[in-house]
Amino acid sequence: MSHSNFSLLSGIAVTLLSTMASSHAQTPAGTANWQAGVVLDGAVTSKGLELGARDKGLGLGHSDLMVRGAFNEHFSGEAVLGFHTQDKKLEQHVENAWVQTRSLPHGLQVRAGRFASQIGYLNELHPHADDFTERPLLYRGLLGGHWYDDGVRLNWTAPTPFYLRFGAEVFSGKKLVREATPDSTSLVSTLNMKMGNDIGPSSSWQWGLSHVQNKREAEVEVHDPAAEAHSHSASFSGKRMWISDLVWKWAPEGNNRNQQVRLNWEYAQVSGINRYADSTMRHRASSLGAVWKFTPAWEVGVRTDWLRVAKPEDHSGTIEFGNGRLTENAIMLAYKPSHMQTLRLQLTQQRASGANDDGEPVFAKPAGRSIQLQYVIAFGAHGAHSY
Amino acid sequence: MRILTKAFLALCVAATGQAQAITVFACEPEWASLTRTLLPEVSVRTATTHLQDPHHIEARPSLIAQIRGADFAICTGAELEAAWLPMLQARAGNPKVQNGQPSMFFAAQHVELIDPFKGTITPFSGDVHVNGNPHFHTDPRRVLQVAKALATRLGSLYPEKKPLVDQNLANFESELQAKIAIWEKQLQALKGRSVITQHASFGYLWPWLGLKPVADLEPKPGMPPTAAHLEKVLAISKTQPPIGIIIAQHHDPKPARWLAGSMGMPSKLLIIPATVTDDQPGAITRWFDQLVTQVTGLAK
Repeated sequence: MSHSNFSLLSGIAVTLLSTMASSHAQTPAGTANWQAGVVLDGAVTSKGLELGARDKGLGLGHSDLMVRGAFNEHFSGEAVLGFHTQDKKLEQHVENAWVQTRSLPHGLQVRAGRFASQIGYLNELHPHADDFTERPLLYRGLLGGHWYDDGVRLNWTAPTPFYLRFGAEVFSGKKLVREATPDSTSLVSTLNMKMGNDIGPSSSWQWGLSHVQNKREAEVEVHDPAAEAHSHSASFSGKRMWISDLVWKWAPEGNNRNQQVRLNWEYAQVSGINRYADSTMRHRASSLGAVWKFTPAWEVGVRTDWLRVAKPEDHSGTIEFGNGRLTENAIMLAYKPSHMQTLRLQLTQQRASGANDDGEPVFAKPAGRSIQLQYVIAFGAHGAHSY
Repeated sequence: MRILTKAFLALCVAATGQAQAITVFACEPEWASLTRTLLPEVSVRTATTHLQDPHHIEARPSLIAQIRGADFAICTGAELEAAWLPMLQARAGNPKVQNGQPSMFFAAQHVELIDPFKGTITPFSGDVHVNGNPHFHTDPRRVLQVAKALATRLGSLYPEKKPLVDQNLANFESELQAKIAIWEKQLQALKGRSVITQHASFGYLWPWLGLKPVADLEPKPGMPPTAAHLEKVLAISKTQPPIGIIIAQHHDPKPARWLAGSMGMPSKLLIIPATVTDDQPGAITRWFDQLVTQVTGLAK
């Protein structure tokens, strides 16, 4: 977080607070025009995960201050100031500051500003609403956990009896690849599609397919076995990325108040790693999760993930690639007495394999077994939930 | 050649919006039924059923597609759909059904709400509504007020349909008024009796029925019943014996069953649909008929 952004941050904070103070001045019985809220996400972790966002011990996870609403009949907007602790220090980021159209015809929508890309299933969702304490390896390895950036988006929702949406986004890409080679052009664009429908009254599905064209080639880091990695950008990137995401949800008669099953599978592949890489080299990742809400307030979930990478390293001028692999299995139990609170206990098992030419492991500190206890609490408006 | 001509004509008809049926998105089945009662020719997609808790609906892809194609949307408002409708509106890219547009009709804006939450909302308050209880469709007199406002709105949006809508409103009004008079006679037996309930789902029904809700299975609005809270409700039931326990069909029946058993009156648990069980014209009258019969039956 650079100091040049500080005045912007404080400006947003003041706006948020003043809006929160006036958010109760609502139109009678109507929907409030503007909403504001705060979400705090705290956790105790027995051992930090490789590529994880939570340190060992007590820490603040992905928390935020949010304000959203409609400016007029043509535009709506949202601002989110995210904050979390890293190495016991508080970090802040302006995650969202966007304006979107509300009145374009024919299912068209345009958004501009800073926002999360709509590639994949989880990327545009807030991490504190996730079903597990850490994002899947796919997101942590290939998208910096939660890829938001400065750019524009055009969406078209088709007039079909089932859901069908096509989207295109263009971003600066600085949040995806922080240190790019000097000859890189500064653009990352995405093309994405989502479709979905119901299967009878009890179940529904959604499938998404996204492509990322990334013209920012990451600088190869100088090999340093002792280096501590902490980054909000993608740890492993490349020219082209494909993501396929599938979600299926079931609830008896569609009444998800009392019982629900949610399945989520995502797969991603990155090619064109950099100018030194063999054209057959790929980063690949997969995540499969299942959550069962078995009573109105309790959920259990399991998730299995893997990530395979070809990691470029600069060994005194020679670029070498190390093939690394991480696997993760997690089980969790969550208690949600209301919309506003979640208490979650998670056990995660993380293993690593693969080494570079010097025989040094690509992932040096897999956690083995880690236990996490997480508590999420929301104040004020919590907004509507996406599918 | 004839097939081609027919196809061309069909395309022409499809291209001129006037010839197509008005497509309506209804958040709840009672408003779907009411819209069909006033304007039977509309094509209605109903987002929820009586088997679902309207607070907890997934903003499913199918619902986005439905609201994308809607010419008119009718919902309860008063934050009942706060967890899902704004997401559908934001995703659909349909300017007609955004808040503030005449084609986005919120029934709550046309009735007086009871029990607005007063005080400071904290994460421990439960699912409270600052504007008041949004389940006002359980009061037939308020349904009539909504019907009048809806008829006015439909008449101004579709002036060519106004005579038809007004005629249908007059029929609905006289039919429901006559029914209300009959129901209110049947309800005399309930005056001043106690009832145990779950959530504010029937918050408007009790004063109309003359029943006194003495305990709620939920410790806080929207929070599932807990064992400790059920013990308290059991204690209340001993000092103020109720005619029974009445919960909605979309509630988890286990806590209410336990309570009815513990009170020694397992047959006095009444599970009723919290809204109409179909979305056709006349469903509202049929549903109230059923409610009055079942609740007065419980008191016998």
